[in-house]
Amino acid sequence: MKRKGIGYASIFYGTGYGNGFPDESRATAELTKEGQIIISVGVSEVGQGGLSVMEQIAVETLKIKKDLIKLQYNNTSKMRDSGTAAASRQTYNTGNAVLDACRKLKDNMNKVKTNKNLENLYVQMKDCNIDTKTEGYFKATTSEVDLETGQGAPYWPYTFGVQKATVEVDDETGKVDIIEVTSAFDAGKIVNPITAQGQIIGGSTMGIGYAIMEEVNLNQGDIQNKNFSDYIIPTSKDIPKYHTYFIEDVEETGPYGAKGLGEPAMLPMAPAIINAIYDAIGVRIYEYPATCDRILLAIKNKNK
Amino acid sequence: MIINGKSYTKKIDPLLRLIDFIRDEAKLKGTKEGCGEGECGACTVIIDGRAVNSCLVLAASVNGKEITTIEGVSQGKLHPIQEAFIEVGAVQCGYCTPGMILSTKALLDKNIDATEEEIKESISGNLCRCTGYQIMIEGIKKAQDKLKKR
Ligand code: FES
Ligand code: FES
Repeated sequence: MKRKGIGYASIFYGTGYGNGFPDESRATAELTKEGQIIISVGVSEVGQGGLSVMEQIAVETLKIKKDLIKLQYNNTSKMRDSGTAAASRQTYNTGNAVLDACRKLKDNMNKVKTNKNLENLYVQMKDCNIDTKTEGYFKATTSEVDLETGQGAPYWPYTFGVQKATVEVDDETGKVDIIEVTSAFDAGKIVNPITAQGQIIGGSTMGIGYAIMEEVNLNQGDIQNKNFSDYIIPTSKDIPKYHTYFIEDVEETGPYGAKGLGEPAMLPMAPAIINAIYDAIGVRIYEYPATCDRILLAIKNKNK
Repeated sequence: MIINGKSYTKKIDPLLRLIDFIRDEAKLKGTKEGCGEGECGACTVIIDGRAVNSCLVLAASVNGKEITTIEGVSQGKLHPIQEAFIEVGAVQCGYCTPGMILSTKALLDKNIDATEEEIKESISGNLCRCTGYQIMIEGIKKAQDKLKKR
């Protein structure tokens, strides 16, 4: 029989490398003589939307039209280091560096009065010996935790999230269907709602794989299931209906109030599903993933 | 064979896969290879109206057939499916996208009124690690509206 269950899980997760590890981002903003503004930033775009976010922050800070701004990225010979696209850190850390560079450039641009175009502004700035190129920098303020005393500030800021999973468990076959997932996240101000939602739904789907499908079978260090036919990840037919909400509690130290979002998106999903399975059939699964055989075994052990 | 309306005549190794012909002979790099074993759908192309994994097809076997790759979907301007994908934000890393768009096109060319279930079924052979599919499905529904209005 199919039994329905609901489960919740919540997390908090620090943005950035953390624990005092040097976590720096740099960015450059430059007004060119052609009247264009070039933002050079070492953010690696892997589909997460980092570039859109940097561009939005630059446009907002410089208050100029988007098509006058050009992003230069992914070329380490042309720009300074912005650290890795990892640790959910680019929006917060590199976003802050872009903000810093753009604010400085804006200040410099404001030093000369002109209502003409950017080309003209460039000439006037040069005449007055004002820098047309500014460097932005951001360093995260964390410190290593003292293992003796427990003192230290390992991360700042933290992202918070809760997810609710509704599942159906077939107690004869052990199969779990995920029916509905609702996510609510506080990642500060959301810079780009479309890509942020993409992170949540994509992360949740990965979490579903982690909870009920994905398992690396090792034999003496050799992976036994190297193909997508035996390492199963979610397909379009495995996904639930998703609902996503953001609680935009502005983070004072973030660029326009933003915090990190990438990794937190997948974290509560698996425990929420395991809790929902418990709610449905009254058994606790202690080993991921909750595959049919593990669920049937747990039911059998419970009925002993 | 005919790829995107252009005819190709070539002497080839009988064991050459279609994906290699497309990428290396026709130099159309939009078709992606993920697994190379028919499991991920990244290499999907349309052969005579059907979405097919081009890594599982021998090039010699499609002699005389019509093939559409992602380059053939946008003729001069973006296809409504592509427009819709961009508008809803259905693309993240983009590796699955060409295959996803071709599976969608094969479906909508045949059945513009496909239901959500039919949409999910028709892209279920296209794995995507980034998006979680939901936004893509929204994009496909938007493409249906666009195509109907044309
Ligand atoms: S590359 Fe052909 S299905 Fe994966
Ligand atoms: S967008 Fe990255 S795999 Fe689909």
